[in-house]
This record gives sequence, structure tokens and C-alpha cells, in this order.
Amino acid sequence: MSAVPVVADISYDALLDDPYPIFRRVRDTAPAVFVAAANLTLVTRFDDIMKIERDPATYSSDNPASLVNKVMGPTFMRKDGAEHAVGRKAIEPSFRPGTIKEHWAPKFAEICERLLNSVIKAGEADLFPALAAPMASLSLMEMIGFKEMPWETLALWSQSLIDGAGNYSRDAEIERKAMAAGAGIDAAIEAVLDHHREHPNPSILSSMVRADPPMPIEEIRANIKVIIGGGLNEPRDAILTLTLGLLANPAQKHSVLAKPELWPTAFEEAVRWISPIGMYPRRVTREADLSGVTLPEGLQIGLCVGAANRDDRRFADPDQFDIFRPRQSHLAFGAGAHFCAGTWVSRQTVGRIVVPMLFERLANLRLRDDAPPVLRGWVFRGPVSLPVRWDA
Amino acid sequence: MPKIIFINADGATREVVASTGQSVMEAALAAGVSGIVAECNGAAACATCHCYFDSNAGCTGEIGEHENEMLGFTASERTADSRLSCQVRVVAEMEGMTIRVPSVQ
Repeated sequence: MSAVPVVADISYDALLDDPYPIFRRVRDTAPAVFVAAANLTLVTRFDDIMKIERDPATYSSDNPASLVNKVMGPTFMRKDGAEHAVGRKAIEPSFRPGTIKEHWAPKFAEICERLLNSVIKAGEADLFPALAAPMASLSLMEMIGFKEMPWETLALWSQSLIDGAGNYSRDAEIERKAMAAGAGIDAAIEAVLDHHREHPNPSILSSMVRADPPMPIEEIRANIKVIIGGGLNEPRDAILTLTLGLLANPAQKHSVLAKPELWPTAFEEAVRWISPIGMYPRRVTREADLSGVTLPEGLQIGLCVGAANRDDRRFADPDQFDIFRPRQSHLAFGAGAHFCAGTWVSRQTVGRIVVPMLFERLANLRLRDDAPPVLRGWVFRGPVSLPVRWDA
Repeated sequence: MPKIIFINADGATREVVASTGQSVMEAALAAGVSGIVAECNGAAACATCHCYFDSNAGCTGEIGEHENEMLGFTASERTADSRLSCQVRVVAEMEGMTIRVPSVQ
């Protein structure tokens, strides 16, 4: 067994700009590599991440030093075993495939329709602010069971919590914003909780107060924050990534438009290609051997699913968006007990409602040569700008 | 420790000696049965450990409400024999039972 090698010649900006060449290098170096710019030991190979996620006793989601807990409170995302399972089970009714299809899908289709109607005459737009961000925000608002508010409010809360959870430099302004978002969310919960208690419905808050046993208020607050921090970016970025993948590959776009049954496959390929969550952390609870590398007890590791989803040991020609590649499971939704609770709602919303409707309603949708898309991020990654034109 | 026989879509068979109390998914993964992915490792959240059990066997337990809904979203066709193997416990009565693994998860 050997020690964890160190890579020190990568800049943080390079990681944000395009992590994939770096992921490739790290993946080919060793099963686990300390990347100085990220100040974290990264695991990048598909099989290793699968192995880790099947062994929660060695690789814990719990971390006493986690900023997530500091910013959000005691969330189930940072718990293991039975403690996590209780919280997860409490919200399950809101995320069931049947509930999604019958209850959420029609509401989300309506939101999408409204957003598209408001831009359709313009003939051009940046799809990030015009569609993807408001779509993700408004649908999450409905699912949680909040009173209606401007989409920007929930989006700001979400971003402030994410920034706060990653605030390793302890920047005072970032901390202040995260705390303000937390206070705003607590007040928004307070405003509707009695209603949900008295009127059972499929919303997440309703599931939480009706769970057996009911979720304690401090856990409701913390878990709603996790859902806001972790449930807005991902569908937003998946909408834009799937759209970009198809617009940049016209032959595949024509295939999907001719055969709508290909939409689910196209969605899976989009989130494999550019996974909205590129990395999430685990903590090594006891010395472990990861494919020949020794991980010491207490080590923080980052599971780079964005890298694993481009592991050429598993996916041929992994950097290509190719909806016709052999069907293989990917890690965009993670694996193990923390497998994304929103998997089915995102498959339905992004892959069957929003992006199909976008291509159907906006005729001859195309990228702009004079304003190329901009992508950014490695922990979270997606287009931050996707300017397009269509025939109005 | 019943012996369970897994049959893949291509006809390949695999005998697995399973421990009672573990899930059929866990027994299959431990033995390296191909075709069972089990992305969520038993949380009944991913529908990628779908298998076909003999629905008349009488030893596979009841289908829970959540499992029942998830079964509507399997990649291979749902039949009366469909179960999520992570939700089925291994019991001694399964000795000699055959379980069919679908072609895609």
C-alpha cells in the first residue's frame, strides 16, 4: 500500500474553468490524490466511489466540523444509518414516482408554459435567467409548500447557503448572507407550518409534519435548508446542460425530436456528461485501503462523481455527449443511502417536461455564434449563461 | 443458508448461497451476480435491483407502498413477478428458488 500522492501545480481557477482535464490527470495518477488547490483528497474513479458508497461504516457522511451543519443545523445529509433513514423516510411521500406524475408534473408543466410564453416573442434569450433558474426555483417552492414568493428570493437563499457551506476562508460577508438566508427560511416555514399540519397535502413540509414520529422543528428547519441548498442548482443546471448537449450535437437533437421516447436517455446522458453535482464529501472513520492507497483515519475525502462519470475505464470516449452510447449506470445522483431523493422528480421535470417543451415551443432553437455558452464550477457545474435564438 | 439460482437475461445461471436475513440484492451483490446495479444500496430509491421472482413462491413477503410505486419506473417491463430485490429478505424457504435478472436496470 502507498500513501496518498499530492498534486500541487493546479490553480483553483483552472478547476472552476474546466475541471475535466484535471480530473483525468488525477484519475490516472492514483485512486486518491490530495489536490492542494482544493485542499482535499479527491477520489475520481468510478469503481472506487461505488465501493466507498457501499461501506458507510468506513466512509461516513457525518462530520462534526462540517460547515453544512454550522450553516443549516442538524441535517440528514450529514448523518448515517438509522438517523439518516428516519429523516429520509419522512419526506419520501412527496418524492414518490406516482405523486410526481400525478401531482407535481401538471403543476410544473404549467410553470414552464408560463415562463416560455413570457419570452417567446423576443426571439432570443439567455436560458439561465429566462427559463432554467426561475423554473427550478418556482417548482422547488411548490414542492416544499412555501407561500408564493419571487423566484429570485428562493434562488438567493439557495446560493447563500451553498456559499456559506463552502466558506472555508470564513469570509464574514458570506457568513452574514448565509445566516440571513437561514433566518428568511425559518420565517417562511413558520408562516405555513400550521396550514400543512391542518391540511395534509403532498408537499415536503406536509410530509415532515405528518411523519410518524413527526420531524422535530429544528430538523425541519435544517432539512428544508438542505433541500433548498441542494434542490435548486441541480435541476437548473440539468435543464441547461441537456439543452446545450442537444443544440451542440444537431444529429442527436434530430433523433430525439423525431423519437420522443429517447428523451429519458438524453437526460441521463446529459447528467453523466456534465454532472450538476461534481463532488461531495465523506470522512474516513478508520484507516482504510482504497485500491492500494492508504487513507488515514479522520481524512476528509471528496468523491468526484463528475470525474467518475468520465472515467474511461467505464465509459468509452467519455468527454463526448452521446445519447447512443451503450446503456450504463452513472453516478450523477450519487450512490448508497444518500442516493438523490430528487432523482425521479428531476427525471420527470427536466427530461420529460421542461426541455421537451422548450424544443417544441421555440422553433429552430439554436446557439449563438456571437455569444457562446459559459460553463463554470467543479463542485457544482453547469452553464452559467446559455444565449440562444429561435424563430419568433 | 438457502441456495438461490439467479438467471440472467442471456440465460447464464449463477448459484448463490445466501444468508438468511440479508436482502436478496445484498446476497446477489456479494456473490457478484451481474445485471443487478443497486445504485441506492437498498434505500428503494433507484429501482436498479429489479428482479423477477416467482409470485406464487409465498416466501418473498409483501410489496410495500413505496416499492410498489418504484416498480412503476423500472427500465425493464414490470410483471406480476417484479420486485425490488433490496426489499426482499432471504428466508430458508428460498432453497432452490430461481430469480430472473432483467436485461436492463
